[in-house]
Amino acid sequence: MQMYEEQKSSCPVKVPVECRFSPYTDNGGTTLAIAGDDFCVIAGDTRQSEGYSINSRYAPKVYQLSNGSVLATGGMYADGVTLVKMIEQRLEWYRHAHDKQMSSGALAQMLSTILYHKRMFPYYVWNTLGGLDEDGKGAVYSYDPVGSYEKQKWNCSGSAGHLIQPFLDNQIGFTHQKEKAPLTLERVVQVTKDAFTSATERDIYTGDNLEMFLVTQNGIEKTRVELKKD
Amino acid sequence: MLDLSFLPSGRGGAVTDLPDDQDDAQTFAMDAAAFSHPSFVLPSVADPVAWMKHQMSDAAENRIKMAKGTTTLAFKFKDGIIVAVDSRATGGTYIASQSVKKIIEINPYLLGTMAGGAADCSYWERELGRRCRVYELRNKERISVAAASKLLSNMVYAYKGMGLSMGTMVVGWDKTGPALFYVDSDGQRLKGDLFSVGSGSTFAYGVLDSGYHCNLSIEEAIDLGRRSIYHATFRDAASGGSVLIYHVRQDGWQVISRTDVTELHYQYAEEPRPSLL
Amino acid sequence: MPINEVKPATGGFSFDNYARNTMLNDKGFKAPGVIKTGTTICGCLWKGGLVLGADTRATEGPIVADKNCEKIHYLAPNMYCCGAGTAADCDATTGLISSKLELHRLHTGRQSRVVTAMTMLEQMLFKYQGHIGCALVLGGVDINGPQLYTIAPHGSTDKLPYVTMGSGSLAAMAIFESRWKKDMELEDAMELVKDAISAGIFNDLGSGSNVDLCVITKDGVDYRRGYDRPNERVQKERSYKLKPGASTVLTSSFRKYVEVLDGDAMDTS
Repeated sequence: MQMYEEQKSSCPVKVPVECRFSPYTDNGGTTLAIAGDDFCVIAGDTRQSEGYSINSRYAPKVYQLSNGSVLATGGMYADGVTLVKMIEQRLEWYRHAHDKQMSSGALAQMLSTILYHKRMFPYYVWNTLGGLDEDGKGAVYSYDPVGSYEKQKWNCSGSAGHLIQPFLDNQIGFTHQKEKAPLTLERVVQVTKDAFTSATERDIYTGDNLEMFLVTQNGIEKTRVELKKD
Repeated sequence: MLDLSFLPSGRGGAVTDLPDDQDDAQTFAMDAAAFSHPSFVLPSVADPVAWMKHQMSDAAENRIKMAKGTTTLAFKFKDGIIVAVDSRATGGTYIASQSVKKIIEINPYLLGTMAGGAADCSYWERELGRRCRVYELRNKERISVAAASKLLSNMVYAYKGMGLSMGTMVVGWDKTGPALFYVDSDGQRLKGDLFSVGSGSTFAYGVLDSGYHCNLSIEEAIDLGRRSIYHATFRDAASGGSVLIYHVRQDGWQVISRTDVTELHYQYAEEPRPSLL
Repeated sequence: MPINEVKPATGGFSFDNYARNTMLNDKGFKAPGVIKTGTTICGCLWKGGLVLGADTRATEGPIVADKNCEKIHYLAPNMYCCGAGTAADCDATTGLISSKLELHRLHTGRQSRVVTAMTMLEQMLFKYQGHIGCALVLGGVDINGPQLYTIAPHGSTDKLPYVTMGSGSLAAMAIFESRWKKDMELEDAMELVKDAISAGIFNDLGSGSNVDLCVITKDGVDYRRGYDRPNERVQKERSYKLKPGASTVLTSSFRKYVEVLDGDAMDTS
């Protein structure tokens, strides 16, 4: 297969012209979700970047869905927006068809199938879905771009995912620790903030703002914390 | 030859029996036709397969990495079938997860294992579960393991060469007794008494073959499966996490255990080793 | 020459493994990444001299390798040089030219001239055809007054009243283009360079952390490390001191120091 086509013009100089279909770009950013006994925290930074440039300091990539779940998207921003639009449409259809909200477990499976339907032309998105399950317990589902998913207690993905995940394993999963402290909402929020301020120090694609969704039986609270802007 | 992949051309043309969905809205149509056969969105390029291969290769500007790396095994013995797997998912050198469920519960008497592309395995084995249920409703009896594995094999064979990646074992109990089949995305389908699949399979086979015979007791068989996976995780960096074990019997499958390999490491280290001479 | 003959280093670069590394690279074995100072550096002239400025972030791909590195290098008592690009190349090149200038001063007994340093850097970078990856902003004051140069990796040079270099050069230049004036006061020039570097720090992902300044006049140098620190880390929410037991103990053995109670005298014959 030849990558280049010779330019057809009157210009005597032959310049190779690349003409490949490359629809993907990585807009950076980090997302995180942690499930507690009766709550769930889903968070993401709001920086959107490309190469060495910042496109936006406030481009939220964590979305509150109409069934009470929260979806964090990472990777390519445009694909994330399209995907969320698609999910919202399916949630509405479900409400009309069944006269009830879709459960988070059903949404988790549906998202997997939506992603797999584009197996040959994937959404360039790493999803993390958070919310409360049918019993009111915190639930986190994490996905690869083609729909492989797994229910977890905590997950971090995106540009600083590999920096934060081992920190969460230690502070939320208490790996290599003798004492396991109870996981309160307050503690989880503190760990989340520290994870993001630390990732901002070392990952150039993470920063500007941290947006957190605290999901409890009483509803969803959205908070915003400033991160460093350099 | 010129790469004309930039030209819009609709469908790739490799699979002809799919509903022709021009846009995503139609893909998610709610009518019955949309559920009769899975359909896939394709990129508007002349050769979607080559395009997808490029996107997943090292050369791609924004690479799509899929979870890979595994050790799975299953073997028949006098009291049924033991299925044992590890639980690690890797993306390059990064351990994406240590808690993957690589044994897929297709229905209460059929199991499938996961090796290769995680999404491919879970999607197609879920689709297999749906088709087995339809078979049951139509024929008023359960599908045989041979037929189920052939359904899976035929489904993925329709997509041969399009980049699917799965190496799976379909395990169950039917009229003929315990049954074990190996099915992969190349279209290969084998019946057998003992299989191991994945990057750590060679290590697992080493342990498995040295301890295997048909007359193992249930306890011995479970222990052999666990040891085989453990030793594979010890030598294969792409396998690890914990060992998950299922036992298939006449009345269906049963979860036996889930043990962290670190725990097994110290447990086995305590045992006396056989001398080499 | 026998294949295993070991020859003492004769100076200059060794190309011994060039062919091998090209082959390995073609086969898919990628060479380890080098640390780059994805950088904002700049300088401008004012009434009594010049001001150089730099950010302090060093990166290795998307990761910040050093949050507070020094990018304004010493060349001579009357000359400093900001470096952008491959960190090791900038260190080595400025170090080499600096020592050559020192020897030249000892030989001539005169102050080094900025053109001399500029020409030496230009010729060295041109000779290596861009393989030495450094982009420099050179500033100094000599008998011809204050002068500012940029030297690009392939060896081209510019002499201008205000200059910027590195990945944040456009952000910094935007500030200079809108606010630089001829014959500014020192305070105004320092404020302008600080703002130019800050523009790079906040708008270029390759640049970050603090602003370093270096004021050069005919009377001497005022190096202001950490002139502005707009990116101090906030207090952490929790303490992460681990309790004992975080490491699995496999074996342990305790030994007392060996005490020699009775021994022979040392043989000193």
